[in-house]
Amino acid sequence: MADRSLQQDLRSILVKSRSIIYHPHLTTAIAEHDMAMARQFFDAQQATGPGPSFSPSQVPPMQDLMSRQFALTAANRGAVPNLNDAWADIQRTQAAHSLPHNAFTSTAWASEFKPAAFTPGPTIQQSVPLVNSTQNSHLIGNGFGTMGSRFGLNAAPQAYLQGFDAHADVKGKGKFQETDFDAAFAQAASSITAAQIEIQSSGDAVDELEKDLNNARLDDVPAATPEDLLGEAEFKSVWEQMQNSDMPPKPEEMAKWEAEFNQLMNAQREEGEWEYSSSMQRAWDEGVAADLDDSFTHNMKFDHEGLPILDPYVFEQNNKYLDPSSSTQSPLALAKQMLEHNASLSEVALLLEAAIQKGELGEGGYEAWILLGETRNMDEREEAGMKALTEGVRSCRRSGCRRYGDAPISYTNESLDRASHTMLMRWLCARFPDVPVPPEAQSSLTRSSWHSHNVVTDAFLTVARTQHAQGVIDPDVQLALGVLFYTNGAYDRAKDCFESALSVRPTDYLLWNRLGSSLSNGNKPEESLGAYREALMLRPTYTRAIYNVGVACLNIGAHKEAAEHLLSALSMQETTGDKSKQLWQTLRRAFIAMDRKDLADLTKRRPLSGRFPFGGVRVLNQS
Amino acid sequence: MSDIKVEGYKTSVILATLGQVFEGYSDEERAAQLKKNNGVFEFRVKDAAGKEASWTIDLKKTGTVKKGEAKSLGLKPDVTIILSDETFVDLADGKTTGQKAFMTGALKTKGNMMLATKLDGVLKSAKGRTKL
Repeated sequence: MADRSLQQDLRSILVKSRSIIYHPHLTTAIAEHDMAMARQFFDAQQATGPGPSFSPSQVPPMQDLMSRQFALTAANRGAVPNLNDAWADIQRTQAAHSLPHNAFTSTAWASEFKPAAFTPGPTIQQSVPLVNSTQNSHLIGNGFGTMGSRFGLNAAPQAYLQGFDAHADVKGKGKFQETDFDAAFAQAASSITAAQIEIQSSGDAVDELEKDLNNARLDDVPAATPEDLLGEAEFKSVWEQMQNSDMPPKPEEMAKWEAEFNQLMNAQREEGEWEYSSSMQRAWDEGVAADLDDSFTHNMKFDHEGLPILDPYVFEQNNKYLDPSSSTQSPLALAKQMLEHNASLSEVALLLEAAIQKGELGEGGYEAWILLGETRNMDEREEAGMKALTEGVRSCRRSGCRRYGDAPISYTNESLDRASHTMLMRWLCARFPDVPVPPEAQSSLTRSSWHSHNVVTDAFLTVARTQHAQGVIDPDVQLALGVLFYTNGAYDRAKDCFESALSVRPTDYLLWNRLGSSLSNGNKPEESLGAYREALMLRPTYTRAIYNVGVACLNIGAHKEAAEHLLSALSMQETTGDKSKQLWQTLRRAFIAMDRKDLADLTKRRPLSGRFPFGGVRVLNQS
Repeated sequence: MSDIKVEGYKTSVILATLGQVFEGYSDEERAAQLKKNNGVFEFRVKDAAGKEASWTIDLKKTGTVKKGEAKSLGLKPDVTIILSDETFVDLADGKTTGQKAFMTGALKTKGNMMLATKLDGVLKSAKGRTKL
């Protein structure tokens, strides 16, 4: 870097001698001007001292970005505890800002610039010697800013760049060829400071100055970063604005453009469908629900933590287990027993409903609800399952116990990400009360799901890392992490989590199914079949896994197989009541893909009798 | 669905599937979809050779997918989406989103841009989703 070498030159010279008169890198013409400038700066600095000399109120009314930045610098300066640092900062900033002003006087610049109708130039040049330094710097700021805006209006921005280029050339006697602004600024800054030293080096202030200067140099690297970057960013934004803003076209072009515009607008008006504001409003209103395909979730309401507010659970009518004479055993105990023995999920659900209706809620007043929800979910009845789980979560919250079961998973399946995050967070807090949870994690749950996803994932990762360090794999934590990655579409990572959970609990059919879904939704439906197979080996009545196999087959393109699996899933839901909408819909898709519109039409009738109207698989096999 | 497919366009395969999905909707499901999207989407898709083919999704009145420009089908497009075959496939696979594609210039629109933001949801329904 040329400016760096310049600085080093400068310092070595300073160390050797305190009275340097001439700096080798400066051209005489520019150096003279710079020296004048610098003396002015320096004198003023001496007069006002290193205290805050700029305040926003002193800024002339013609404000612009540059002068505002000056005010900002002044404010910053006040905040810097070390005055020497502050001094150095201000010196550098001033020097940097004064550079473009110097550029006006360079002949190369002037000749570049004249055709571009530059008016405020002379005013500034005159004003420089007259004003005291405080105003001076503002004026320079203004001048530069004005120039900037003039460029935006009148001149091609390139002219500015060229001017700068030329200026850099003159400055460095052709030695410094950087057209890069940063380099040019830094270069100019250091050379001006150099000029200041040269002038003042014979005075009383030499010692003080040198100290300041040394400080400035030493602090250069760290101090340069935040402020200079700030200035740079601001400059860049102004520059980009200038580049992007169109120049006002010539009058004839203007007229042409106007005509075109009117034509366009009229053409659109004729079509009569461009109520932009209303479509905007509509998009906004529907934006939240845009991702949710299901009509069931479409008009859902949520509480402040994103949990859905659902209608109460609807019990099935004619539940045979409600008959007091049917059984002497407790229906809840019987249901648990049946669950263990791989009984029909629909039967188990009926038993659990009976238990709840009879007031046998089990442990903590929520066990039966959670169990019912999980059973309904396994039976691929998401809506009923979610309602039951939500009931369970509510009573769970009331009784102070914390077992949420599959609630987060149910929410995830319906794309209710925030609800899922909330449940996982609650579970984490209940399971690991010792784990410190940052307060923003709790508050994030009331905000967007993007935000809460990050925070909750971080919380779980912290736990998982601690456990990993202890050589423990906690399948529940892995499951939760898997669900979190799954909601975010990171199916590969979800797969890894489920797999590591399976390494601890290899006979967990739920986990196998979840592994399968991570693969299937991650565009690997073929691989998912193996995982689903494991799940179904362990639990043949797992309706959801059968449904998933159907969907995977459909995505592979094996339509007939898909239809078979979906039909058998439907036949699992043998008992009374409404069958899964999703199952019917997917079955219909499979039939249409098979070009069997006649069969597809039959599914629209959605028979409630529990039997498929035409003998199901048999008909399929004949086709 | 052979009337939707065009040789060499993966887009047409996806759109054909989408057409099947729409066809499979019951009346209430279709009504819900129409209410939700309420627009005519016209697609102009360029294949690798730069050849262009068009399809139109009517999610305003009928809920159907058809080959050809909207005009030729007697419809007015609410939004025309211009993109490459590849981008379309990425959109349907969820590898990119409509917004990302738009920002990177891979997708251009004419007409009501707000409608184009619904594209992701529409295309996603072409694929079945398994559950946890």
